[in-house]
Amino acid sequence: MSELNTNTSKVEKISLWLRIIKRVDILKKIALGIIVPLLLVIIWQTLSNFGLIPSYLLPSPSTVVSTLIKLANTGELFTHAGITTYRVLVGFAFGSALAIILGSITGYYRVVYQVLDPLIQALRAIPSLAWVPLFILWFGIGEGSKVIMIAVGVFFPVYLNWVTGIKGVDKKYVEVGILYHFTAIKTIRKILFPAALPSLLTGLRSGLGLGWMFVVAAELMGTSKGLGYLMVLGENNSAPELILGSIILFAILGKITDGILVYIERRVLHWQNSFGEENGNVSS
Amino acid sequence: MKSKFVKLIIGLAITTLSIGAVGCTSKNQSQAGTNKPKEIRLDFATYNIESLVLKDKGWLEDEFKKDNVKVSFVESQGSNKSLEFLKSNSIDFGSAAGSAGLISKAKGAPIQAVYAFSKPEWSALVTKSNSTIKSVKDLKGKKVAVTLGTDPYILLLRALDEAGLSKDDIQLIPLQHSDGAAALISGQVDAWSGLDPIMARVQVENGAKLFYRNVDFNTYGLLDVRNDFAKNYPEYVGRVIKIYDKARKWIIANPQEAQKLLEKQAKLKPEVAKIQLQRTDLKQSIPGAPQKAALTKAAEILKKYDIIPTNTDVQKTISEFVNGTFAQKALK
Repeated sequence: MSELNTNTSKVEKISLWLRIIKRVDILKKIALGIIVPLLLVIIWQTLSNFGLIPSYLLPSPSTVVSTLIKLANTGELFTHAGITTYRVLVGFAFGSALAIILGSITGYYRVVYQVLDPLIQALRAIPSLAWVPLFILWFGIGEGSKVIMIAVGVFFPVYLNWVTGIKGVDKKYVEVGILYHFTAIKTIRKILFPAALPSLLTGLRSGLGLGWMFVVAAELMGTSKGLGYLMVLGENNSAPELILGSIILFAILGKITDGILVYIERRVLHWQNSFGEENGNVSS
Repeated sequence: MKSKFVKLIIGLAITTLSIGAVGCTSKNQSQAGTNKPKEIRLDFATYNIESLVLKDKGWLEDEFKKDNVKVSFVESQGSNKSLEFLKSNSIDFGSAAGSAGLISKAKGAPIQAVYAFSKPEWSALVTKSNSTIKSVKDLKGKKVAVTLGTDPYILLLRALDEAGLSKDDIQLIPLQHSDGAAALISGQVDAWSGLDPIMARVQVENGAKLFYRNVDFNTYGLLDVRNDFAKNYPEYVGRVIKIYDKARKWIIANPQEAQKLLEKQAKLKPEVAKIQLQRTDLKQSIPGAPQKAALTKAAEILKKYDIIPTNTDVQKTISEFVNGTFAQKALK
């Protein structure tokens, strides 16, 4: 009995150590990643303090940070960041939903693919930002036009990755489905969808990145709230610290939303046994 | 392993610093061995009538041909753009409203105003003819289009302040001047803080009405020059001012031709050009006390909204900004 207890406590000790080592490992990763940015910020602050960089061209990091803090205190920061994030997420939801639906149809039905895909590929070739003046003309400068612009930006990478994923599913799996007399819907649900899921998640990550890019373009034209508005304000009111501040916020929010997608990816694809894995999880 | 790591860090630091240094080289240089600029870069705009005359008649090119100095023009869509070009050393002379220039100056821009090209009433609050907006108070909760960092923007803030409202009582939509006018006409915004000649155009072509006018809230058209250009080539600043004044005098002496030139260069209908000229006073040109007084008043609202730092020494900034000495010397 006591032998069993010591064995159990030994196992507990080992698992505790493994958890500690894992945390140290994560800390080491973070530390390595921070060295270069930290060095750059220190150099930047020093140059600004000695007046070597004119403040009207590049304000010091301390000015940028204090501006952000000032905005946070009045609550404006959260209003602007909030509305920008909202626009991205809504546009992302619409764009990816449309891409998944359309992609499923064109991916599965060869005829539909041959008819629709060339058109979609042609539209995809148009540089995304070229749509902005046209959309403003057609849809104006309200919320709707911004969400549509973001949705268009998100649509193309998600669609492309999804269709490629479906078409790339190994035929062997589909043949197994035929052997088991699977209907079209069952084939899509049980074979194509899970097999193409990794591609879809990659597409969603690119789509989200593009969504953040589009929200900047949408907000540079005619909005009274948002991080893009802060950039326009900073540009025209001689406040470059606002421009830098909103760039930093874009980076942070972009990274957080991307991180959420990575987490989802990890959970959904836990069954994958692939090359890029770390500790049995999908690598980021 | 350790030394490789250290070498990598040092290498990265050197690369970053050298990229930074390269990006900061000045863009206008002297002709070799002389005290002459290679090129004089100016802006032109539909709100600066002298600039259109100079661009059309080529007087600056003629003046500087003998010195082998090139002259180039770039179009500006507003004071905010002119100041942006000046700050980024893309032009040497820029035309901007006094209050707009003051904002940049208070935030450290190395510029000074050396010539007053107009005393205009170029800005007012505009709405469509069928609008229910009759006074500034009616703007509460409405969408107002305006270009940030320009005279119309500051006029809007001062008008709101006068009516007891604040910037947060309206939905301020930042749009460049021509886009703002288009948004007003298409009904996307309820009001627009306008700028001539676009403002005159929507009055004539779309029946828009100016529901709030205040000539004192308009702060002069000033020609700003970069400090380093003024320091290196002071004689050239004087000569540019002389030619600018020649254009001003020509407009006064030839009103019909001036109107035709304005119509052609700014692509305006005759009635529109006429209205813009009527609203522009060209009698004075040496910047001095009147400009300083107007800017002192404008500075109050700028400080209130933290557009310029609240601890700005307004008098010092204005006296460093408005420099009439070049004009006094050149035009005596």
